[in-house]
Amino acid sequence: MKHSSPSCTPRLFSHLYIEKAVLDHPQTRRIIEKFDRSNIIVIGHYKEVFNRPSQSFAAQSHAKKLILAHKEGKFLHEGSPYSDGFGHRQFLYASSVMGCLYDCDYCYLQGLYPSANTVLFVNLEDAFAQLLPHLGHDTLVATSYDTDTLAIESLSGQTRQWLSFAERHPNLHLEIRTKSANFRSLRELVPNPRVTLAWTLSPQAIIERYEHATPSLESRLKAAKDAVEAGWKVRLCIDPVIHTEGFETLYTDLIDTIFASLDPESVHQLTLGSFRMSQNHLRSLKKLRRSDVAFYPYEVRDEMATYPQAIEQHILEVLLAKATLYIPMERIRTWQRQS
Amino acid sequence: MLLVTQPGKSNAMMATSALLGWRIPSDDDILINVGVCGAPESYPIAQTLLAHQIIDGSRRYYPDILYPHTFTETPLECVDLPADTPGNFPVDMESAGVFVAASKFFKLHRMAFLKIVSDHFRPENVTKEGVIELVGSRLGELDALAAAMYGTLVPARLFTIDEERRIEEWKELFTAAQGGRLDDALRYFRLRRPESPIPFPQVEIPASKRERSALLETFLAVLHA
Repeated sequence: MKHSSPSCTPRLFSHLYIEKAVLDHPQTRRIIEKFDRSNIIVIGHYKEVFNRPSQSFAAQSHAKKLILAHKEGKFLHEGSPYSDGFGHRQFLYASSVMGCLYDCDYCYLQGLYPSANTVLFVNLEDAFAQLLPHLGHDTLVATSYDTDTLAIESLSGQTRQWLSFAERHPNLHLEIRTKSANFRSLRELVPNPRVTLAWTLSPQAIIERYEHATPSLESRLKAAKDAVEAGWKVRLCIDPVIHTEGFETLYTDLIDTIFASLDPESVHQLTLGSFRMSQNHLRSLKKLRRSDVAFYPYEVRDEMATYPQAIEQHILEVLLAKATLYIPMERIRTWQRQS
Repeated sequence: MLLVTQPGKSNAMMATSALLGWRIPSDDDILINVGVCGAPESYPIAQTLLAHQIIDGSRRYYPDILYPHTFTETPLECVDLPADTPGNFPVDMESAGVFVAASKFFKLHRMAFLKIVSDHFRPENVTKEGVIELVGSRLGELDALAAAMYGTLVPARLFTIDEERRIEEWKELFTAAQGGRLDDALRYFRLRRPESPIPFPQVEIPASKRERSALLETFLAVLHA
């Protein structure tokens, strides 16, 4: 469903809420300079703003604010069973940003957070310090798990910091997943074979209906193509697949469009997965009453809501039949519930 | 609706609570707390300020400003007595009381705190007539603020009142769990097809529980189709 949006919205990050403790952090100073027209509000702790009662996630989605904070405690967490660890011995995700610039109807963040605002933890150096003890062996870190880091790269610079850190640590692999078209912010960097840039792709009709404020399919494909041409390892993710009217045509056309634009040989991997979400997050999503995605009659097993098995199977069969026309099965990863 | 509170946090909180308890706000309502404030000299007399942070001792409150506007934004300190010592921020005596009471009824983006600078920490210069004149001279700005706030309201109602009545009648035929499934299916239908009327089955309601369950499954299948 198309969200109704206010007739006139303020500019992005019209307000910067900044923890007093990070006012002098170099990252904070850089951001203040960049957003010199924004109102700056000094706060004690990010939770004063981010966790306030009586916020409207839906209304905030059209006027996101930025909160700059110092993260206490863990930046790194074990990867969840809803995601692929791509066979690495250890799979972690980094939580250096809370909230996302984009506003996708199916996103679990809506169920996870009380606010649509973005919290940027400026002390990324502490994440690297926490990661060091894990780097004795092969470790994958997903940097865009709770956000889309590349979408805010020009603001945060965090992706570049991660890439610089990864250069120095040969056991570290990164997955930077994005819907953004912002490859230009990485263009002049030397590609690292242990870093995968992963683009989430959806049919344009699905983007317009469910992925609000995100770049078009064409822009994402252009960015992915630029990355491939620059020598980066690129993964394409058709995930989550939304089972909707005309799904077969929409998604098989998508695969044709992708490989009309990109040489299949240049794509490291293709991942396919249907919509899935923990039951708790789905309950919260329902409370927002924003999108039909929340109200589909999913099957819930082991606390995970996904399409009934027959539909899930059908989705994979349809997509695999088309995808294997372009790319061998060994380079396709699929997500399917273990029965 | 206009509420005139007496000066002071407690008066403001009690008056706001009394009003909102008597007349529960609907999803289309907004609240604007308008009044005067003392302010540092950097703020000219009669300037209109919009508070983005209300400081009440060690507590902080944050109205959500989700709309574009032309007011100067500022933190606002809510104090217990008229302020005659220059401070860092504009000060008033009611905002925290109004915020605490109103936030039980309003989402944060449906409240605004608009203050007109009446003095530079010289409360003895502030008169009732002066305040009336200051507020009266800002009615156009108040209208503009209200219009901007209305622009942020997200439609909360998925169904018309008549549809809601019919849905409740239908739900009474089923168990709570079945009613929950029907609710979800109706929302799924409406969010996918906002313009379409709900296709309530045009059949006589069966007397037996088993037949009613079968009817529900048919209805759900139509809503999910």
